[in-house]
This record gives sequence, structure tokens and C-alpha cells, in this order.
Amino acid sequence: MAFSIRLERRLNAPMAMRIAVPVAAVAGGLLAGGVVMALGGHDPIDAYGSIWEGSLGSSDGFQSTLIKACPLVLTGLAVATALRVGLWNIGGEGQLIVGATAATGVGLYAASLPGPLLLPAMILSGCAAGAVWAAIAAVPRALIGLNEIIVTLFMNYIAILLMDHLIFGPWGDPKAFGFAYSRPLPDAAVLPLLPGTYVHVGIVIALLVAVTAWWLMERTPWGFSVRVSGGNPRTAEYLGLRISRRMIIVLALSGAIAGLAGAIELTGVTNRLQDGISVNYGYSGVLIAFLARGRLLGVVLAAFLFATLVVGSYALQTTGVAQPIATIIQALIIVFLLAGDAALAFRLRITRTRPLLEPAQAGAG
Amino acid sequence: MSFWLNSLSVGIVLGTPLAYAALGELIAERAGVMNLGVEGMMLMGAVVGFIVTLGTHNAVAGFAAAIAAGAALASVHAVMTVGLRVNQIVMGLTLTILGAGLSAYIGTGYAGRRPGAGVSAIAIPVLSQIPLLGSVLFNHDVFVYAVPFVALGIWLLLYRSRFGLWLRAAGEQPGAADASGVPVFLIRYLAVIAGGGFAGLAGAYFSVVYTQTWAEGMTSGRGWIAIALVIFGTWDPIVVLLGALLFGFVDGLNFQLQSVGVPVSTHLLAMMPYVFTLIVLVFAWTRLRHRRVGMPEALGVPYEREAR
Repeated sequence: MAFSIRLERRLNAPMAMRIAVPVAAVAGGLLAGGVVMALGGHDPIDAYGSIWEGSLGSSDGFQSTLIKACPLVLTGLAVATALRVGLWNIGGEGQLIVGATAATGVGLYAASLPGPLLLPAMILSGCAAGAVWAAIAAVPRALIGLNEIIVTLFMNYIAILLMDHLIFGPWGDPKAFGFAYSRPLPDAAVLPLLPGTYVHVGIVIALLVAVTAWWLMERTPWGFSVRVSGGNPRTAEYLGLRISRRMIIVLALSGAIAGLAGAIELTGVTNRLQDGISVNYGYSGVLIAFLARGRLLGVVLAAFLFATLVVGSYALQTTGVAQPIATIIQALIIVFLLAGDAALAFRLRITRTRPLLEPAQAGAG
Repeated sequence: MSFWLNSLSVGIVLGTPLAYAALGELIAERAGVMNLGVEGMMLMGAVVGFIVTLGTHNAVAGFAAAIAAGAALASVHAVMTVGLRVNQIVMGLTLTILGAGLSAYIGTGYAGRRPGAGVSAIAIPVLSQIPLLGSVLFNHDVFVYAVPFVALGIWLLLYRSRFGLWLRAAGEQPGAADASGVPVFLIRYLAVIAGGGFAGLAGAYFSVVYTQTWAEGMTSGRGWIAIALVIFGTWDPIVVLLGALLFGFVDGLNFQLQSVGVPVSTHLLAMMPYVFTLIVLVFAWTRLRHRRVGMPEALGVPYEREAR
């Protein structure tokens, strides 16, 4: 008797399973992260206790989580927006950094602008810089079909070096004793706080951007034409849509969102340009968009979850668990999500197979 | 004159890990599987190779462990993309981030230390005495000497062996290959895992041989340059090797210019390899895209026997 095991494509997965998979993936990621910590000689239950205490479990932690969620919502949105036109924006990290850099430039050289003008000017220039940075990848993609993943990625490294050049050189703070800081920005360049908290208004801006992006992509004819271009380029061509133009516009928009994240981090958190203004926010944004399955509003949820992990992992550092554990757990969640999706798409079918010739018949032949 | 000779010599050293990583990616892609996790696998190789070399005072053990680490991470990619048919781009990007996180986690506390053992340069008798070029070409470590033979070996494997024919078939026409009895799944698993081993080796070369330190994210995008090299190397091991050496040279030029005190910021000079890669990529792609030279036809497409 022989068995054959094969994967069979499911025609449609039950709704309950579609919801269960991301939930199970988060649980699986946390569990596997616990195994990693246990292998490093730490008690995972204690560790998750610290993560909870440091993030959602205390008022201070919750406020820190809101602050951390702001750049993550935006970088996640940047990736999810680009996915609408079928492009992978892996350059959120660099677009965020040039956004912060451009905002710093405005803050340093136009410091004499009246207060109510300075902040908007900085934020808009951050968006513009992010858009230009992304367009550098979008144009060759749209015109000659050059893979945008590699180009957006290289632009990350170029952005970091550009920032380093400025903060170690012309914009460097002579009082920073060789640390990688720019001169501090004027007081007018600081984002206001939400009343009664130490959370800057960036999170409100981020949520507004999320709703706007969702409306633009899901509720307008233009957004529909973008999704057609991304989802089914051949149909789009028949309809006479100019795909390449949409690619450039959407990737530039996506870069502008990441650039906005940089300008907000600068004006809301660091108040000067410094190395480490982005703690891998751009890369986390890619994972956030995956977890949200590219849905713009789902990004907000996923970003909060990832912010909890990051803020919690800072609390964890005091117990000796290294901070990169947050990145590891985030990536593991996605690995489980992908495996779960595969489980949804296929089912395992084990069948008994009969030999072509039954032994009795073979003998009788 | 010595400036150019030094640049050439440093370029050969810097091109070597790029070549190993790119050749590994080439094997996987030739079998039809794109692995964008090269950067993550290199970082894992770098940290594991460094720690094992430090612990055992033996670089051979370090490199063996680094190869195993790269292959282990690659096997995750293989199981997910070949076995479970997950999107290769999504999985590869996740793998890069996972490798970056894991290596930073494992390497905490090792930054700034020295590996305590290394791979010394071997001057080849007679040849290294050749004026000018002798010391540039024939005074290196064993990995540098091996790389042309590895590239040639892969070329022979691909084009002059039955296994290579199978491997290319798995990357071009997996359905037809499967129908004629080629073990497509097995070949894809092997190719991805072997590619990971190469990436792990390349990472360890950076940490154990070249910089002799460990630093978080130390490969700074070299894994992505390796992926780009496969594209404009037209999936041909010999062209990929030459490309890697050219990129190593550009990379090395940056350090040489810094050391002779060119009045340009070190950060701007360090942009050179990335900008150079982008420019070459645009030109190469403009020329190659219509003909799709060398690009495996089924690259990036999960093979499903049932969907044949």
C-alpha cells in the first residue's frame, strides 16, 4: 500500500481562517521570539512581562508607544501605498532620512521665518525630499522597467551617507565633541504636544494621512485606476491608462509619506539631525505592510503592534536582553504569517495510491 | 603609480566576498529561486564566523560555522518558497531583516573586539616577485586565490555536467524538467541552501579577514550589490566574477582616496560604490532588458506540480 502526499490549491479559504492566520502568526512570532530569548539564557515570560510593563502596561509606556507608532504608521503606509501600483518601496529608511535632512536644512537656514511658517515649511520640505528620493527609483522603473527594489534600497545607503556628511561636516554641532549631531534647531521648530501628555501631535497627523491615503486609493476614480494599473497592467493598457505616469506619481507620494515621517521625528522627537534618527523604521514599515496585507487601515493596527514591541524592548534592555529582539520578533511574525497564508492557499491531501498493476493481475498476465 | 597598484590590490580583496555572495545567488537564481535575503545571510555569516573564530582561535572553524549559518538561514527561504510556494520577494526581504536582527542580537557585546585568529596572506613564490603586478596579484589569502577556480567550477557545473543541465532546466522550464524526471524540488532546495553557504562565507570574509571586527550591519548593502551583480553579470559566473572585481576596485578606490587625503568628505567618497552600481545598473538594463540575456525564464515563479 502506498501513500502520496500532495499540496492542493484551495479554491476559497473560509473567512474565519483568513482572520485567524494573522492572529496565529503574531502568537507564533512571539512564541518563537521567546525561544530565541530562552536560547540566550533569558526567561521569556519575565521578558514579555517587561515588554508589557514598558509599553502598554503603564501610562509612560503607552505614551512612548504612541510616539513610536507615528513613524511606523507612516513608513508602513509608504510601503502599502506603493504596493497599490504594484511597486515595492524598500527605500522608506532613506526617504525618511532625507526628509529629516531637508527639514533640518530649512530649520537651520530659514530660522528667521516667523514661527507659524517655519514648522510647515520644514515639514513640507521633508515631504518633497522624500518624494524626490523615491522618484529617483520610480523614473527608471517606469521608463525602462529597472527593478525598483534594488534602486530604492541603494538610495537608503546614499541617504545615510549624505546625512552623515552634513552632521559631521557643515551642519555639525561644534559643542557635540565629535558626536554625530547637527546644531540644535530653533524653538519654533518643535511640534506641539497633545494636551496633558508628552506625546507630540505627529500621531494625529499620521492617522490623518492614513485615512486620506485610504480615501484616495479606495474611494476615488484615480485611486481605482492606480489599483488597476498595479493589479492588472494588461487591462490598464487596454483601458488606455498611462501606467508609467501612475507609477511615478504613486511612488513619489509614497516617498513623501516616508519623508513626512522623517520631518516629524525631527521636529517632534530629536530636535536636531542625528545618526540613528531612524531606528530601522523604513524596514519595519515593509514588515508592517506585509502584516497588514497591504491594507492601508490595517497598517495602523500593525504599526501599533510593532511600536509596542519596540518600546517594550527598550524596557527589556535593562534586564540584559539586547534590543534587536524586537526586530527578530517582527520578522518571525511575518515568517509565520507567510506560512499561514500558504496553509490557507493549499491543503495537504494524503491519498492512498494503488499501484498501476495489482500484484495478482501482474502475476496472471 | 603605487596609488593605483594599492587600489587594485584592495579592490581584489574587496571584490572577493562580493564574488562569493554573487556566485551563490547566481546558483539559486539559475535554479529559478530569487533570494533577496543575501544581506541577512551575509550578516549572519559575519557574526557567527567572527564569534566562532574568537572562541576557537581557528579561522577554519569560523568559516565552517559561517557557511553553516548562511545555509541554515537559506534553508528557511527554501522551505518557505520551494516547499510552501510563498512569494519569493516578500520572503527574501523578511529574511534580510531577520538576519540583520538576529546578527545584531547575537553580536551584542562583540563590537570592537578582535577575532584573535585570521587567514594570512600567502605570497606565491616566484610569481609574487614579478615587478609591480606580482604583489598585487600573488600576495593574498587563500579565498582570493580560490575565487576564479570557484567561478570556473560553477561554470563547468552549469554547462558541462548533467546536474548543471538539470539545475538550469529547473530554472527555465520546471514543468518540462519535472515531466522528464528531473527532481525539480530537490534541485531548488540544494541550490538555495548552497547559495546561502556562499553568502555566509562572504560575510565571514568581511568580519574575520577584511575588517577583523564585528559591527552591527557591517556589510552595509554589499549583499544587495551582489544581487545587482548577478543581473548585470547576465547570470554568467565568469562575467559575475569580473563584475565583482570591478566593484571591489571602485569600493577600494574610496578607501585609497581617503588615505591619500583627497579633500572630499569621507562620507561622500563612501557613496561611490552605490552610485556606481546604480549607474551601471541603469545602463546595463537599458541594453539587456529586451533580450533578457541569461535571465532564467522561471525566475521568481514557485513551481507547482499540480498547476502544470
